[in-house]
Amino acid sequence: MNNSDATHDKRQRFDRIVAVFHMDMFRYAAWLCRDKSIAEDVVQEALLRAWKSLDALRDDGAAKQWLLTIVRRENARYFERRRLETVDIDNLTASQSALLAEAPNEELNDLREAIYGLEDDYREPLVLQVLMGYSTNEIAELMGLKQGAVLTRLHRARLKLKDEAASEEFS
Amino acid sequence: MSQMSKMMNCNDYKEALTADPGFEDESGHVDSCASCQAYSAEILALDEKIAAAMAINVPELTMPELLEIDTEKVTPLVARRRLPKPVWFALAATVLLAVFVGIRAPDMGSMEGTLEEQVLAHVDHEPRALRVSSTPVSDNRLARAVPANVAAMNHDIGLITYAQSCVINGKTIPHLVIQGEYGPVTILLMPEEKISAAKSLDGVNIQGVILPVGNGSIAIIGNREEKLDRIKQNVLDSVTWST
Repeated sequence: MNNSDATHDKRQRFDRIVAVFHMDMFRYAAWLCRDKSIAEDVVQEALLRAWKSLDALRDDGAAKQWLLTIVRRENARYFERRRLETVDIDNLTASQSALLAEAPNEELNDLREAIYGLEDDYREPLVLQVLMGYSTNEIAELMGLKQGAVLTRLHRARLKLKDEAASEEFS
Repeated sequence: MSQMSKMMNCNDYKEALTADPGFEDESGHVDSCASCQAYSAEILALDEKIAAAMAINVPELTMPELLEIDTEKVTPLVARRRLPKPVWFALAATVLLAVFVGIRAPDMGSMEGTLEEQVLAHVDHEPRALRVSSTPVSDNRLARAVPANVAAMNHDIGLITYAQSCVINGKTIPHLVIQGEYGPVTILLMPEEKISAAKSLDGVNIQGVILPVGNGSIAIIGNREEKLDRIKQNVLDSVTWST
Protein backbone atom coordinates (compact mmCIF):
# COMPACT_ATOMS: atom_id res chain seq x y z
CA MET A 1 0.00 0.00 0.00
CA ASN A 2 1.42 3.41 -0.95
CA ASN A 3 1.34 6.53 1.25
CA SER A 4 -1.64 8.01 -0.54
CA ASP A 5 -3.72 4.86 -0.04
CA ALA A 6 -2.66 4.64 3.59
CA THR A 7 -3.64 8.26 4.22
CA HIS A 8 -6.95 7.74 2.48
CA ASP A 9 -7.68 4.64 4.56
CA LYS A 10 -6.69 6.41 7.74
CA ARG A 11 -8.93 9.35 6.95
CA GLN A 12 -11.82 7.03 6.16
CA ARG A 13 -11.32 5.22 9.44
CA PHE A 14 -11.19 8.51 11.34
CA ASP A 15 -14.29 9.90 9.63
CA ARG A 16 -16.17 6.70 10.39
CA ILE A 17 -15.26 6.76 14.06
CA VAL A 18 -16.02 10.47 14.44
CA ALA A 19 -19.36 10.13 12.66
CA VAL A 20 -20.37 7.48 15.15
CA PHE A 21 -19.19 9.20 18.30
CA HIS A 22 -19.36 12.92 17.57
CA MET A 23 -22.66 13.42 19.41
CA ASP A 24 -21.33 11.64 22.47
CA MET A 25 -18.15 13.71 22.39
CA PHE A 26 -20.04 16.98 22.22
CA ARG A 27 -22.61 16.15 24.88
CA TYR A 28 -19.94 14.86 27.23
CA ALA A 29 -17.85 18.01 26.69
CA ALA A 30 -20.88 20.27 27.09
CA TRP A 31 -21.83 18.73 30.43
CA LEU A 32 -18.24 18.77 31.61
CA CYS A 33 -17.69 22.46 30.94
CA ARG A 34 -21.33 23.58 30.99
CA ASP A 35 -20.82 25.89 28.03
CA LYS A 36 -21.71 25.04 24.44
CA SER A 37 -19.13 27.33 22.85
CA ILE A 38 -16.34 25.96 25.00
CA ALA A 39 -17.59 22.45 24.29
CA GLU A 40 -17.22 23.09 20.58
CA ASP A 41 -13.63 24.27 21.15
CA VAL A 42 -12.87 21.27 23.34
CA VAL A 43 -14.26 18.87 20.74
CA GLN A 44 -12.25 20.54 17.98
CA GLU A 45 -9.07 20.19 20.02
CA ALA A 46 -9.98 16.62 20.87
CA LEU A 47 -10.51 15.78 17.20
CA LEU A 48 -7.10 17.17 16.31
CA ARG A 49 -5.45 15.19 19.07
CA ALA A 50 -7.36 12.05 18.14
CA TRP A 51 -6.30 12.40 14.51
CA LYS A 52 -2.66 12.79 15.50
CA SER A 53 -2.73 9.70 17.64
CA LEU A 54 -5.16 7.57 15.66
CA ASP A 55 -2.53 4.90 15.13
CA ALA A 56 -2.44 4.42 18.89
CA LEU A 57 -6.02 3.20 18.75
CA ARG A 58 -5.41 -0.43 17.97
CA ASP A 59 -8.98 -1.60 18.39
CA ASP A 60 -11.90 0.38 16.99
CA GLY A 61 -14.12 -1.35 19.53
CA ALA A 62 -12.50 0.83 22.17
CA ALA A 63 -12.99 4.04 20.17
CA LYS A 64 -15.72 5.52 22.35
CA GLN A 65 -13.76 5.26 25.58
CA TRP A 66 -10.63 6.47 23.78
CA LEU A 67 -12.38 9.55 22.39
CA LEU A 68 -14.14 10.41 25.64
CA THR A 69 -10.82 10.15 27.47
CA ILE A 70 -9.33 12.61 24.99
CA VAL A 71 -12.30 14.97 25.46
CA ARG A 72 -11.85 14.76 29.21
CA ARG A 73 -8.16 15.64 28.97
CA GLU A 74 -8.78 18.46 26.50
CA ASN A 75 -11.42 19.90 28.79
CA ALA A 76 -8.96 19.84 31.68
CA ARG A 77 -6.29 21.47 29.50
CA TYR A 78 -8.72 24.16 28.42
CA PHE A 79 -9.46 25.15 31.98
CA GLU A 80 -5.83 24.92 33.02
CA ARG A 81 -4.97 27.40 30.29
CA ARG A 82 -7.75 29.81 31.09
CA ARG A 83 -8.30 29.30 34.80
CA LEU A 84 -11.95 30.19 34.43
CA GLU A 85 -13.90 30.95 37.52
CA THR A 86 -16.91 29.06 38.69
CA VAL A 87 -20.05 30.75 37.51
CA ASP A 88 -23.27 31.39 39.34
CA ILE A 89 -26.29 29.91 37.62
CA ASP A 90 -28.07 33.29 37.87
CA ASN A 91 -25.24 35.07 36.12
CA LEU A 92 -24.48 33.06 33.01
CA THR A 93 -23.02 34.14 29.71
CA ALA A 94 -25.11 33.70 26.57
CA SER A 95 -23.07 30.66 25.65
CA GLN A 96 -23.61 29.08 29.05
CA SER A 97 -27.29 29.90 28.95
CA ALA A 98 -27.56 28.23 25.55
CA LEU A 99 -27.09 24.89 27.23
CA LEU A 100 -30.16 25.48 29.35
CA ALA A 101 -32.30 27.23 26.77
CA GLU A 102 -33.30 24.26 24.70
CA ALA A 103 -35.40 22.19 27.06
CA PRO A 104 -38.75 21.37 25.48
CA ASN A 105 -40.79 21.91 28.62
CA GLU A 106 -40.59 23.50 32.03
CA GLU A 107 -40.06 20.24 33.91
CA LEU A 108 -37.07 19.26 31.78
CA ASN A 109 -35.78 22.81 31.98
CA ASP A 110 -35.86 22.66 35.78
CA LEU A 111 -34.12 19.31 35.73
CA ARG A 112 -31.51 20.57 33.27
CA GLU A 113 -30.79 23.49 35.59
CA ALA A 114 -30.49 21.10 38.50
CA ILE A 115 -28.00 18.95 36.54
CA TYR A 116 -26.15 22.12 35.58
CA GLY A 117 -25.96 23.04 39.25
CA LEU A 118 -24.49 19.73 40.38
CA GLU A 119 -20.86 19.72 41.47
CA ASP A 120 -18.50 18.51 38.73
CA ASP A 121 -17.69 15.40 40.76
CA TYR A 122 -21.33 14.38 40.76
CA ARG A 123 -22.36 15.57 37.31
CA GLU A 124 -19.66 13.78 35.33
CA PRO A 125 -20.32 10.20 36.48
CA LEU A 126 -24.04 10.79 36.05
CA VAL A 127 -23.52 11.91 32.44
CA LEU A 128 -21.36 8.88 31.77
CA GLN A 129 -23.91 6.51 33.28
CA VAL A 130 -27.16 7.97 32.02
CA LEU A 131 -26.14 9.48 28.70
CA MET A 132 -23.22 7.30 27.65
CA GLY A 133 -24.52 4.03 29.06
CA TYR A 134 -21.32 3.33 30.99
CA SER A 135 -21.22 0.80 33.79
CA THR A 136 -19.91 1.94 37.17
CA ASN A 137 -16.74 -0.06 36.48
CA GLU A 138 -16.16 1.78 33.21
CA ILE A 139 -16.81 5.13 34.89
CA ALA A 140 -14.32 4.26 37.59
CA GLU A 141 -11.73 3.40 34.95
CA LEU A 142 -12.29 6.59 32.97
CA MET A 143 -12.30 8.87 36.01
CA GLY A 144 -9.50 7.09 37.82
CA LEU A 145 -11.66 6.32 40.84
CA LYS A 146 -12.62 3.26 42.82
CA GLN A 147 -16.00 1.80 41.99
CA GLY A 148 -17.24 2.54 45.51
CA ALA A 149 -16.48 6.22 45.06
CA VAL A 150 -18.37 6.24 41.77
CA LEU A 151 -21.38 4.59 43.40
CA THR A 152 -21.34 7.14 46.21
CA ARG A 153 -21.22 10.05 43.79
CA LEU A 154 -23.99 8.63 41.64
CA HIS A 155 -26.13 8.02 44.69
CA ARG A 156 -25.68 11.57 45.92
CA ALA A 157 -26.21 13.06 42.47
CA ARG A 158 -29.54 11.30 42.04
CA LEU A 159 -30.69 12.17 45.53
CA LYS A 160 -29.95 15.82 44.83
CA LEU A 161 -31.87 15.74 41.56
CA LYS A 162 -34.71 13.82 43.18
CA ASP A 163 -34.93 16.41 45.96
CA GLU A 164 -34.81 19.24 43.43
CA ALA A 165 -37.59 17.62 41.41
CA ALA A 166 -39.68 17.19 44.54
CA SER A 167 -39.15 20.79 45.63
CA GLU A 168 -40.11 22.05 42.17
CA GLU A 169 -43.35 20.08 42.35
CA PHE A 170 -44.33 21.80 45.58
CA SER A 171 -43.09 25.27 44.74
CA MET B 1 -25.40 -15.17 46.22
CA SER B 2 -23.50 -12.12 47.40
CA GLN B 3 -23.40 -10.88 50.96
CA MET B 4 -25.41 -7.86 49.85
CA SER B 5 -28.21 -9.96 48.37
CA LYS B 6 -28.40 -12.12 51.52
CA MET B 7 -28.85 -9.08 53.72
CA MET B 8 -30.93 -6.94 51.38
CA ASN B 9 -33.43 -4.67 53.07
CA CYS B 10 -35.23 -1.53 51.97
CA ASN B 11 -32.31 0.77 52.73
CA ASP B 12 -29.79 -1.46 50.96
CA TYR B 13 -32.01 -1.81 47.94
CA LYS B 14 -32.83 1.88 47.64
CA GLU B 15 -29.21 2.88 48.10
CA ALA B 16 -28.03 0.45 45.43
CA LEU B 17 -30.77 1.43 43.01
CA THR B 18 -30.16 5.14 43.47
CA ALA B 19 -26.50 4.66 42.57
CA ASP B 20 -27.27 2.35 39.65
CA PRO B 21 -30.83 1.99 38.33
CA GLY B 22 -29.65 -1.10 36.47
CA PHE B 23 -29.03 -2.81 39.81
CA GLU B 24 -30.33 -6.38 39.91
CA ASP B 25 -31.86 -7.44 43.21
CA GLU B 26 -30.95 -11.10 43.41
CA SER B 27 -32.37 -11.47 46.89
CA GLY B 28 -35.95 -11.13 45.74
CA HIS B 29 -36.56 -8.42 48.35
CA VAL B 30 -38.18 -6.02 45.92
CA ASP B 31 -40.73 -8.60 44.77
CA SER B 32 -42.31 -8.61 48.20
CA CYS B 33 -41.85 -4.95 49.06
CA ALA B 34 -44.36 -2.45 47.71
CA SER B 35 -42.32 0.47 49.01
CA CYS B 36 -39.23 -0.61 47.07
CA GLN B 37 -41.26 -1.31 43.96
CA ALA B 38 -42.64 2.22 44.12
CA TYR B 39 -39.15 3.60 44.73
CA SER B 40 -37.81 1.65 41.75
CA ALA B 41 -40.49 3.11 39.50
CA GLU B 42 -39.72 6.58 40.82
CA ILE B 43 -35.98 6.29 40.19
CA LEU B 44 -36.45 4.83 36.72
CA ALA B 45 -38.86 7.62 35.81
CA LEU B 46 -36.37 10.16 37.16
CA ASP B 47 -33.60 8.60 35.08
CA GLU B 48 -35.67 8.86 31.91
CA LYS B 49 -36.15 12.55 32.63
CA ILE B 50 -32.44 13.01 33.40
CA ALA B 51 -31.54 11.37 30.08
CA ALA B 52 -33.98 13.64 28.25
CA ALA B 53 -32.65 16.72 30.04
CA MET B 54 -29.06 15.79 29.20
CA ALA B 55 -29.79 15.16 25.52
CA ILE B 56 -28.94 18.67 24.38
CA ASN B 57 -28.92 19.53 20.71
CA VAL B 58 -25.59 18.87 19.04
CA PRO B 59 -24.33 21.32 16.43
CA GLU B 60 -23.36 20.03 13.02
CA LEU B 61 -19.92 18.50 13.00
CA THR B 62 -17.21 20.81 11.74
CA MET B 63 -14.09 18.81 11.12
CA PRO B 64 -10.87 20.73 11.87
CA GLU B 65 -8.13 20.81 9.29
CA LEU B 66 -6.38 17.49 9.71
CA LEU B 67 -2.78 17.61 8.68
CA GLU B 68 -1.04 14.40 7.76
CA ILE B 69 1.68 13.44 10.18
CA ASP B 70 4.67 11.22 9.98
CA THR B 71 3.29 8.08 11.56
CA GLU B 72 6.80 6.68 11.92
CA LYS B 73 7.30 9.14 14.77
CA VAL B 74 4.16 8.16 16.62
CA THR B 75 4.68 5.91 19.59
CA PRO B 76 1.72 3.56 19.85
CA LEU B 77 0.08 3.37 23.24
CA VAL B 78 -1.07 0.15 24.72
CA ALA B 79 -4.72 -0.36 23.83
CA ARG B 80 -6.88 0.28 26.84
CA ARG B 81 -9.02 -2.72 26.33
CA ARG B 82 -9.06 -5.42 23.72
CA LEU B 83 -12.51 -6.28 22.56
CA PRO B 84 -13.45 -9.03 20.14
CA LYS B 85 -14.45 -7.86 16.68
CA PRO B 86 -18.17 -8.51 17.04
CA VAL B 87 -18.20 -6.02 19.90
CA TRP B 88 -17.07 -3.32 17.50
CA PHE B 89 -20.02 -4.06 15.24
CA ALA B 90 -22.32 -4.00 18.22
CA LEU B 91 -20.93 -0.73 19.57
CA ALA B 92 -21.03 0.89 16.18
CA ALA B 93 -24.56 -0.33 15.64
CA THR B 94 -25.64 0.95 19.01
CA VAL B 95 -24.26 4.40 18.58
CA LEU B 96 -25.21 4.72 14.94
CA LEU B 97 -28.68 3.76 16.02
CA ALA B 98 -28.55 6.54 18.58
CA VAL B 99 -27.26 8.97 15.95
CA PHE B 100 -29.99 7.93 13.55
CA VAL B 101 -32.68 8.25 16.14
CA GLY B 102 -31.22 11.56 17.24
CA ILE B 103 -31.69 12.83 13.71
CA ARG B 104 -35.19 11.49 13.50
CA ALA B 105 -36.27 12.64 16.93
CA PRO B 106 -33.95 15.38 18.22
CA ASP B 107 -36.43 16.52 20.85
CA MET B 108 -36.43 13.71 23.33
CA GLY B 109 -38.75 15.55 25.66
CA SER B 110 -41.50 15.55 23.13
CA MET B 111 -43.07 12.13 22.99
CA GLU B 112 -45.74 12.99 20.45
CA GLY B 113 -45.58 11.66 16.90
CA THR B 114 -46.35 8.51 14.99
CA LEU B 115 -45.96 5.14 16.61
CA GLU B 116 -42.82 4.58 14.51
CA GLU B 117 -41.30 7.85 15.76
CA GLN B 118 -42.14 7.08 19.36
CA VAL B 119 -40.65 3.61 19.07
CA LEU B 120 -37.43 4.95 17.57
CA ALA B 121 -37.23 7.75 20.14
CA HIS B 122 -37.68 5.27 22.92
CA VAL B 123 -34.90 2.99 21.69
CA ASP B 124 -32.52 5.93 22.04
CA HIS B 125 -34.00 6.94 25.36
CA GLU B 126 -32.24 4.40 27.52
CA PRO B 127 -28.60 4.03 26.44
CA ARG B 128 -27.85 1.43 29.08
CA ALA B 129 -30.40 -0.83 27.44
CA LEU B 130 -28.21 -1.16 24.36
CA ARG B 131 -25.20 -2.65 26.04
CA VAL B 132 -23.44 -5.66 24.64
CA SER B 133 -23.81 -8.26 27.35
CA SER B 134 -23.87 -11.97 27.93
CA THR B 135 -25.62 -11.65 31.28
CA PRO B 136 -29.31 -12.48 31.23
CA VAL B 137 -31.71 -10.46 33.32
CA SER B 138 -33.02 -12.26 36.36
CA ASP B 139 -36.33 -14.09 36.21
CA ASN B 140 -37.69 -11.67 38.78
CA ARG B 141 -36.85 -8.64 36.70
CA LEU B 142 -38.28 -10.25 33.60
CA ALA B 143 -41.46 -11.10 35.45
CA ARG B 144 -41.81 -7.51 36.61
CA ALA B 145 -41.24 -6.14 33.12
CA VAL B 146 -43.57 -8.64 31.46
CA PRO B 147 -46.39 -9.20 33.97
CA ALA B 148 -48.44 -12.34 33.52
CA ASN B 149 -51.56 -10.28 32.89
CA VAL B 150 -49.88 -8.64 29.90
CA ALA B 151 -48.16 -11.47 28.06
CA ALA B 152 -46.80 -14.96 28.44
CA MET B 153 -43.34 -15.54 27.06
CA ASN B 154 -41.08 -18.56 26.80
CA HIS B 155 -37.30 -18.56 26.87
CA ASP B 156 -36.87 -19.32 23.16
CA ILE B 157 -36.98 -15.60 22.45
CA GLY B 158 -33.22 -15.34 22.96
CA LEU B 159 -30.73 -14.02 25.52
CA ILE B 160 -32.63 -11.20 27.25
CA THR B 161 -30.16 -8.70 28.72
CA TYR B 162 -32.55 -5.87 29.51
CA ALA B 163 -36.14 -5.83 30.69
CA GLN B 164 -38.01 -2.79 31.84
CA SER B 165 -41.52 -1.38 32.01
CA CYS B 166 -41.66 1.71 29.84
CA VAL B 167 -44.24 4.09 28.47
CA ILE B 168 -45.06 4.33 24.77
CA ASN B 169 -48.00 6.39 23.59
CA GLY B 170 -49.11 6.83 27.20
CA LYS B 171 -49.27 3.10 27.85
CA THR B 172 -46.95 1.04 30.02
CA ILE B 173 -45.33 -1.66 27.92
CA PRO B 174 -42.53 -4.25 28.32
CA HIS B 175 -39.24 -3.11 26.80
CA LEU B 176 -36.80 -5.97 26.21
CA VAL B 177 -33.37 -6.22 24.64
CA ILE B 178 -31.97 -9.48 23.36
CA GLN B 179 -28.46 -10.04 22.05
CA GLY B 180 -28.43 -10.60 18.32
CA GLU B 181 -25.60 -11.71 16.12
CA TYR B 182 -24.61 -8.11 15.36
CA GLY B 183 -25.49 -6.42 18.63
CA PRO B 184 -28.46 -5.65 20.86
CA VAL B 185 -31.94 -6.02 19.40
CA THR B 186 -34.76 -4.00 20.95
CA ILE B 187 -38.18 -5.57 21.37
CA LEU B 188 -41.18 -3.54 22.50
CA LEU B 189 -44.31 -5.52 23.36
CA MET B 190 -47.32 -3.27 22.80
CA PRO B 191 -50.47 -5.27 23.54
CA GLU B 192 -52.75 -2.25 23.15
CA GLU B 193 -51.24 -0.70 20.00
CA LYS B 194 -53.31 -2.24 17.26
CA ILE B 195 -52.05 -1.67 13.73
CA SER B 196 -53.54 -2.89 10.49
CA ALA B 197 -50.30 -3.82 8.74
CA ALA B 198 -46.61 -4.19 9.47
CA LYS B 199 -44.62 -0.93 9.53
CA SER B 200 -40.99 -0.89 8.45
CA LEU B 201 -38.36 1.06 10.35
CA ASP B 202 -35.52 1.74 7.99
CA GLY B 203 -32.35 3.72 8.61
CA VAL B 204 -28.80 3.97 7.42
CA ASN B 205 -27.55 1.48 9.95
CA ILE B 206 -30.63 -0.02 11.48
CA GLN B 207 -33.62 -1.93 10.39
CA GLY B 208 -36.76 -2.74 12.21
CA VAL B 209 -40.40 -3.53 11.98
CA ILE B 210 -43.59 -3.09 13.96
CA LEU B 211 -45.62 -6.25 13.51
CA PRO B 212 -49.38 -6.49 14.04
CA VAL B 213 -50.01 -9.20 16.61
CA GLY B 214 -53.64 -9.77 17.60
CA ASN B 215 -55.01 -6.60 19.15
CA GLY B 216 -51.53 -5.24 19.67
CA SER B 217 -48.17 -4.99 18.02
CA ILE B 218 -44.53 -5.83 18.60
CA ALA B 219 -41.61 -3.63 17.53
CA ILE B 220 -38.25 -5.25 16.73
CA ILE B 221 -35.23 -3.06 15.94
CA GLY B 222 -31.66 -4.16 15.31
CA ASN B 223 -28.54 -3.61 13.30
CA ARG B 224 -28.88 -3.52 9.53
CA GLU B 225 -26.82 -6.69 9.29
CA GLU B 226 -28.98 -8.52 11.78
CA LYS B 227 -31.08 -11.39 10.46
CA LEU B 228 -34.37 -10.07 11.74
CA ASP B 229 -36.55 -12.67 10.02
CA ARG B 230 -35.31 -15.37 12.37
CA ILE B 231 -35.68 -13.10 15.39
CA LYS B 232 -39.15 -12.05 14.29
CA GLN B 233 -40.22 -15.66 14.07
CA ASN B 234 -38.73 -16.44 17.49
CA VAL B 235 -40.52 -13.49 19.04
CA LEU B 236 -43.85 -14.35 17.45
CA ASP B 237 -43.48 -17.96 18.54
CA SER B 238 -42.47 -16.96 22.08
CA VAL B 239 -44.96 -14.23 22.99
CA THR B 240 -48.66 -14.65 23.65
CA TRP B 241 -50.87 -11.80 24.82
CA SER B 242 -52.73 -12.56 28.02
CA THR B 243 -55.71 -10.36 27.17
